[in-house]
Amino acid sequence: MNTPPGLVGAALLFWGWQTGLAVLAVPFALLLEGARLVGWRWDLARAELDRVADLCRLILVALAVYLAATRGSARVVLGLVEWFPLAVLPLVVCQAYGTGDRIGLRTFFLILRRRTSAGDQPVDPAYPYVALCMAAASAANVRSPGFYLGLCALTAWALWSQKPAAAARPVWLGMLAVGAVAGYGGHLGLHELQAVVESTLADWVFDYMGRDTDPYRSRTAIGSIGRLKLSDRIVLRVDTGEPVSGPLLLHEASYNFYAGGVWGAVDAGFEAVPPEPDRRTWQLLPATAPADALTVSVYLKRGRGVVPLPPGTFRVDGLLALQMKRNRLGAVKVEEGLGLASYRALFAPTVSLDGAPTEMDLRIAKLEGPLLARLAAELGLPAKSPREALGTITAYLRERFRYSTYLAGPPRGAAALEDFFLRSRAGHCEYFATATVLLLRAAGIPARYATGYSVQEWSPREGRYLVRARHAHAWAVAHVEGGWRDLDTTPSVWASAEAEGAARWEPLTDLASWAFFLFSRWRWGDREAGMVRYAGWLLLPLFGVLAWRLYFRRRVAREAAAAASAVAPRPRPGEDSEFYLIERHFAERGLGRRPAEPVAHWLARIRTAGPTGVTLERLPAIAALHYRYRFDPRGLGDAERHALQAGVHAWLAEHAGSR
Amino acid sequence: MLQRAVYRTFRTLSAADHWVGRRFTPGGRLLLAALSGAAVLGLDTNQTVAYQAFTFLFAVLLLAIGASVFFRGRVTARRLLPRFATAGEPVVYRLVVANPTGRPLAGLVLLEDLADPRPSLDEFLHADEAAEAADNWWDRLIGYPRWQALVEARRGAVAEPRPLPALPPRGAAEVRVELTPVRRGHLRFTGVTVARPDPLGLFRAFRRLTLPQSLLVLPRRYPVPPIRLPGIRKFQPGGVAFASSVGDSEEFVSLRDYRPGDPPRRIHWRSWARVGRPVVREYQDEFFVRHALVLDTFARTEHGERLEAAVSVAASLACALETGEALLDLMFVGAQAYCFTAGRGLAHVDQVLEILAGVRACRDEPFAALHRLVAGRAAALSGCIAVLLAWDAPRQAFVSHLDGLGVPTLVLLVSDEREPAPTETGTGVRLHRLEVGKLAEGLARL
Repeated sequence: MNTPPGLVGAALLFWGWQTGLAVLAVPFALLLEGARLVGWRWDLARAELDRVADLCRLILVALAVYLAATRGSARVVLGLVEWFPLAVLPLVVCQAYGTGDRIGLRTFFLILRRRTSAGDQPVDPAYPYVALCMAAASAANVRSPGFYLGLCALTAWALWSQKPAAAARPVWLGMLAVGAVAGYGGHLGLHELQAVVESTLADWVFDYMGRDTDPYRSRTAIGSIGRLKLSDRIVLRVDTGEPVSGPLLLHEASYNFYAGGVWGAVDAGFEAVPPEPDRRTWQLLPATAPADALTVSVYLKRGRGVVPLPPGTFRVDGLLALQMKRNRLGAVKVEEGLGLASYRALFAPTVSLDGAPTEMDLRIAKLEGPLLARLAAELGLPAKSPREALGTITAYLRERFRYSTYLAGPPRGAAALEDFFLRSRAGHCEYFATATVLLLRAAGIPARYATGYSVQEWSPREGRYLVRARHAHAWAVAHVEGGWRDLDTTPSVWASAEAEGAARWEPLTDLASWAFFLFSRWRWGDREAGMVRYAGWLLLPLFGVLAWRLYFRRRVAREAAAAASAVAPRPRPGEDSEFYLIERHFAERGLGRRPAEPVAHWLARIRTAGPTGVTLERLPAIAALHYRYRFDPRGLGDAERHALQAGVHAWLAEHAGSR
Repeated sequence: MLQRAVYRTFRTLSAADHWVGRRFTPGGRLLLAALSGAAVLGLDTNQTVAYQAFTFLFAVLLLAIGASVFFRGRVTARRLLPRFATAGEPVVYRLVVANPTGRPLAGLVLLEDLADPRPSLDEFLHADEAAEAADNWWDRLIGYPRWQALVEARRGAVAEPRPLPALPPRGAAEVRVELTPVRRGHLRFTGVTVARPDPLGLFRAFRRLTLPQSLLVLPRRYPVPPIRLPGIRKFQPGGVAFASSVGDSEEFVSLRDYRPGDPPRRIHWRSWARVGRPVVREYQDEFFVRHALVLDTFARTEHGERLEAAVSVAASLACALETGEALLDLMFVGAQAYCFTAGRGLAHVDQVLEILAGVRACRDEPFAALHRLVAGRAAALSGCIAVLLAWDAPRQAFVSHLDGLGVPTLVLLVSDEREPAPTETGTGVRLHRLEVGKLAEGLARL
């Protein structure tokens, strides 16, 4: 390493400090810096470095698989960046302890290895590794001054080692100091700028969004025509232990301002909910007894979103998130949570997350004002008590209107509500909820428009309620007798009407959804101690690669064997000579021919050994024939070949019993 | 249309790469890479704190670039080039830099400005497509390997930045610059750049001096074992002098009686007057060995590997052949048909190499032009070495024609290892195959 002593180690320690992996960073930093103290060096050839680089790649792939499984694919890149210094460490160690100062670019990039014509450009990986450690430290996202100070210090250290000899020290120091101060101011400004840009963009985007739960605005389908069709996708799972009797609503957000088919939330800024120390329990309201509880599992896009809660929720348990916020209209959202949030909501009917009513909860837009005043008068609402008014409105809507997801005729736009009241008298839940809220307001009762889900489909297979996208629902919340009450005036046939449109393959998709849910629960589940338990699975791809490599090797070996066997069938002439039978005969008696011993010598040796009952007289003649059969380029004639055969067999027949 | 856009993009990117490579020190380039990395990583300032690194590095780099504005660097320079250089072999020359100001200058770096190696649009569009057969469809469509190959072929030399010693006020310093020419031909210098890195050592301030000069780079040469060319001495009408230019052999032998048909200008008038019958001067007939080195230049591309190899082979042979006692005719077809004779004091090998340094591919004439050129001189040739680029019908016809004329011929076929080439010519002519990239081995086996 041609870096100044200590720089690489310091960069690694800085990385360990920022990422919380100091346990790993300290020994590795010592390992790298220790290379300066030891006298020996490895002499690594390029092929060996290539293998080490392959190992690094394998570690990277394994890391990517692990991160994808545990953190979600969106976080793989950042996770990889965070762990990158570890992944490439083997290569850096090889360079630190190797004889070579530089490593060829081909080692790093497979594509260059294939191009044989391109020259190899050697690079020194030490300084890039320092930069890599800093980049990885930044991915840990620790927002303390420590990062910036460490960054400046390490950069200064690296630059000092490369300072041109002619540069004056004060100038060098001055420039760096100015750079550090400017950089500090710059990054504060950049962060602010992003916040401004994000909020502006978010406003634009929300204008185009349809049904996503936006706690500030809810665009309804009021005024649009044709069939309203929602998907059968399962969006929530609710554990109540056993089926409950009566309707169960999960509230997402409330809105207090209506205009032209859009419900909005005015004066509904979000405030952070302080977490309990475990960052899983969130006390929204003071605890109340008696309380019910249910568990909701919901997928959150990128770990953020509005969480559905039963009305009257005062505490949420087991929701791991960095931040939770709520507004005074009862919407609760989390940020920096997991992809699948499973939490237990404790709720009591006596409390409500909705804040006290304001004059916004009584306001009726000018367009609908005269109509609603007339209707209220017709129903005699102003004269009635709030409780009576609620009953009247519910009865009026239930009896005189019917549920329909199909609306014919020309688009009505802003006059849609008038059409609903006076002509079509049919619509879906958004019409009913809106009509209820506006009638309540006309009766002088503060009311809000609430959205969420109706829990109604019990799954015997899963032993819990399934909530589909088509179970999205809207209802009214009325403030009567000092508390908020849910008022759902939509005819109860709506659930069955919606279920009619279910796809025929719904059971199949449900099964897939269940499997995905089980996987997600594992993936996002509580796994503090379970990492090792699942690590075995993560090794599977590695074993796959290993198996493939072994197979590939085996195949090469097999091909080589095949090639060898293709060569083998070329027989040596005379291989089938019968003389070998005589050789074997003597070998069995301990007088075998030694390797490379000429036959004549061998026969002479046998003769001096003088075994009993053996006639050796005819053997030289047979041996001569055998020699000719083996080595004479012209070979033997048929008669001679026959003589050899006959001679050997006759001799063997004579000596068959002499062993 | 796409190709044009691609060409423009490559051109721009290449210029940017060149600029970054010269303007930034290695440390500066790493910082620039880190800056780009931080920009990508810190795009979302909520996800990582890399944006802090981005602003810091950006500020530092901006300061470094800003500091370069104040560099004046009033110097003058003079380059002292040798006469020749050889492709692939480092050449060392001197550069004298003078400081005319009254202040000392220190910490300067010297960079050579070489001619722009980027190919023209026409060259890019009409580059050898056969060479691309190995590339995948994407590379063929976009043509980056082609671009790279063209730039590589046109890049004259590799020159590293060279630190300058401190220049005293009104003093001068001499630096020895080492530079490795990568191809034969004229290496053109456009100027010299004197650079000074900023105090942080990241960005170089430039002072460009126009100093156009040119260095002739001779072809790469390889050792060749002594070649015993077959063949006998041939009558050279006109003798040595006439062998290369117009003139007459001056080797006087004797006087003899006039025979009908003798040119009247050979009549020796004074002897006629003395003896009373016409007498003519008789001169020595010139018989000596004359070899032809035939170079096939009919390549499809200007700087193709194969043509370069063939030129190298020709240069190696020209150096190896004994030219003290024999003549060597270098024959090839360029813009026109050339025949250049060296040996026996006519011209030196250096001149042959100079000519070979400038050989260019001939793409507008068929091989028959070379065939005609050699056949026209075949009568005077004792032997012929033909360096050929292919073994197709016209070339085979050429070789068998020479064989038929009785000129002992050695064919050196420069080919790729990929393509199968014959080792026999079918006639009595010897054929030796040389593989591109393994020329030294091939020539050693001659």
